Amino acid sequence: MGKISGRIVVLILIMALALSGCGGTVGTETKNMNIITDNSTPEELYERALKEDTLVVYTVSTRVVDTKEAFEKAYPGLFVEVRDFRSPNLIEEVEKGNESGTPVCDVVLCNDNSGEFKSRLVDTGIVVPFLPEDIGIHMEEAAADGMVSFLNEAEILFYSTKVYEDCPIENIWELTEEKYKDRIYMPNPLRSFSTYAFCASSLDHNRELEDAYEAYAGEKLKLEGTENAAEHFWKRVSENIIFTNSSDEVTEALNDGKADFGWCVSSKLRLADVGYCLAPVYKLTPFSGCRTSYAVMMTNGCKNENSAKLFIRFLLGEKDGQGAGLRPFTTAGTWSVRDDIPDGNEVPLSEIDLIVPDQQRLIDEKEKRVSFWTDILKGNR
Amino acid sequence: MRKRKPIPVLTGIISILCLFALCLNGCTSKESREKLSVAIPESAHVQDPENNYYIKWLEEKTGFDLEITTIRQSSCTGFLDALFSSDADIDIVMFGEDFTITQDELSDYVSSGDIYVNGDRTYYENTGCSKEDGVGQILWINYNWLKALSLSIPENTDDLKAVLTAFKEADPNGNEIKDEIPMAGSYEEYSLSPVEFILNSFIYNDPYHSRFGLNENSNDLYAATDEFRAGIEYCHELYEEGLLDDSIWDGNLKQLMEMCNSNQDIVGAFTTSSISDVIYQGNPEILARYIHVPPVEGPDGERNSLYIQKVPEIGAIITERSNKKEQAEKLLSLMLTPEASLIARYGEEGKDWIYSDGSDVSVYGGVSTITTVNYIWNTSQNKHLNGIGPMNVPEEYLEGVTWNGVNSDFEYINGRAYMSYEDHLPKVNGFHPYDDRLSEYIDTALEEFIRGKKDVGSDEEWERYLEGLSY
Repeated sequence: MGKISGRIVVLILIMALALSGCGGTVGTETKNMNIITDNSTPEELYERALKEDTLVVYTVSTRVVDTKEAFEKAYPGLFVEVRDFRSPNLIEEVEKGNESGTPVCDVVLCNDNSGEFKSRLVDTGIVVPFLPEDIGIHMEEAAADGMVSFLNEAEILFYSTKVYEDCPIENIWELTEEKYKDRIYMPNPLRSFSTYAFCASSLDHNRELEDAYEAYAGEKLKLEGTENAAEHFWKRVSENIIFTNSSDEVTEALNDGKADFGWCVSSKLRLADVGYCLAPVYKLTPFSGCRTSYAVMMTNGCKNENSAKLFIRFLLGEKDGQGAGLRPFTTAGTWSVRDDIPDGNEVPLSEIDLIVPDQQRLIDEKEKRVSFWTDILKGNR
Repeated sequence: MRKRKPIPVLTGIISILCLFALCLNGCTSKESREKLSVAIPESAHVQDPENNYYIKWLEEKTGFDLEITTIRQSSCTGFLDALFSSDADIDIVMFGEDFTITQDELSDYVSSGDIYVNGDRTYYENTGCSKEDGVGQILWINYNWLKALSLSIPENTDDLKAVLTAFKEADPNGNEIKDEIPMAGSYEEYSLSPVEFILNSFIYNDPYHSRFGLNENSNDLYAATDEFRAGIEYCHELYEEGLLDDSIWDGNLKQLMEMCNSNQDIVGAFTTSSISDVIYQGNPEILARYIHVPPVEGPDGERNSLYIQKVPEIGAIITERSNKKEQAEKLLSLMLTPEASLIARYGEEGKDWIYSDGSDVSVYGGVSTITTVNYIWNTSQNKHLNGIGPMNVPEEYLEGVTWNGVNSDFEYINGRAYMSYEDHLPKVNGFHPYDDRLSEYIDTALEEFIRGKKDVGSDEEWERYLEGLSY
């Protein structure tokens, strides 16, 4: 009797666990690369979402506030709360929610290039990708590969148009010249994922940097105690750099004319529309920055699953790409991940001197690269 | 089955006696702890003062039991009047958040002998929770409206007028109603008056020092200059064209807050010393609506930023009737130490903050000294008193605190704005003392000129104004 009742308990537990596992993905199926799909129509999702609570979105981009407002207009009765973080802090908050067992957040929008987002939230299953099939067929392959990316951007060099009419440099090594001391601004790479993606990835491009140096100086680069060309470059250029907390400070310094140059996310180019004095450096030997992208994911076991799915559909531009949710993001300095939505930027990504981060390598060599940048930053202060 | 051994009688008696003694000792120890009765204003940001980490820490350090009385009224003078006319046994009253008292108000209670005075000390100060002296006024503008109308951030006074005119005429909030207020303000603080900001595009204008230059020995009254008059003329034009709202003179802070935080999105621009003066905490949507505008250049190239000298606020007083004044002084003195003040500002070391290794950037762009792990300021928490009571955080930490990574954090938003303003601050060589009579005279004249009750274009009117400046 005792054994039998024990087995029943185990059976019930297994069933409960199985049911619990299904809880987060009712009515859904998992497609390639663990992408969750759902064939429910927006109307069906809306009907179910009306029975749910306020949707909570964690984001690294304030542009989602416009999406929220459009979403609440499109779907009366649904409400969205936006919480706006810097990438590392967003990851910490999502992890905390997961550890507590009751995640506050339903949808996450985050820069996904440094490897942190992937290793800490995606690979651990804390966030899961949701991509409706009718939208998925329009997405570029890289945008639906284990994570759902809804926007391409870049971490790119800008120059101040308050100081220069045209970009005064052609080669990245020119930035090491003394005349640019304290005239180059850059977000702290250990606090900005996109900046880290660029800085850390550049360590995989030593040959290009060596060639660029030769073209600039007319002689081969002497490493002078550094391990490679990239480390040599960053050690020298960091003497000219003022590190900031975020891209916003970089754009403000460019606009104030305090900075000649600054690295920041390309989407800040939209500020030129309201008069900010900044312009991107599209052509620079050997590169001006790196490609980045933004992911939108659901938290695993989120409370408001239908609202989350509806919101993600809306953000992705809906089936025909005409939805209002993506519009706040299709601005100057951004590029579309869909084949039926044009880029926000006039110049295509393929015509810009950018490197592409190898995320797995960034994850694998994180300790070494973080250590290098920690030393650089301490030396800079 | 083993039998339980009987406890020997003597052993049993000794054990009972020991327990009794221990109990007595515990009771005595608790009884012998000094009790201090402390009145603390109610705060939405402090969950439970009785079990607050900081209060417990203070109790541990001093060996006192702090008996907390929660003040539920917002009027300091009302509370103190009631307290001193009653028999209430309160040793210390703490101030902070919305429960503040001015030096003038306090002096009445000092004169009446209700407040304990030790030498020159009548109160224990709170030197503030953010960076000291610096930028005193920032212009915030509606970014969504700029975008909607394809306008640029104004760089000079001509741009400013053009932008405000477009705000008024072109329905930037898109509701097809002419409900836009191009520029709003309040009479409650100089920093809330856009007029003070605009005058700084004509000549350095420091209402906090009666509009004198920042030189103690100087009698350069900038309010008597032609440039000041030109600034008033410009403001009058804006007012006549409906670009400056009457709230600048008639509205209180609460009304300004309601306007700026309205979901109807009706305000185009306003000024503050901190965005948190006007925008509600925890409202990222509204915060995203406004961005700072660097100082605006005037017709003669003037572009000044108002300098403000932070004055410590009153953090706490000891009542004269207290019979534990020495203990009260010990507690309040402890609260002014760096160790206590860091808890009072940032919470528990190791959990809420750590000393920085210097690889971070501070909110104000300098070297980091403190890294916040959990940023709990102005949230509902139970680690500190959210700025209530005496506090004296060393400047190196206030200046060196890192950003918490929340884009809508007020200190970060202000810090970024300060960086755009700092280059336009005047060189400070000293301060002319604030002159009540003179300031009131100029404030009144400004209002009359700008609102058209007096004609700023009339030389006779201007001469009469100048004559009135004699002091």
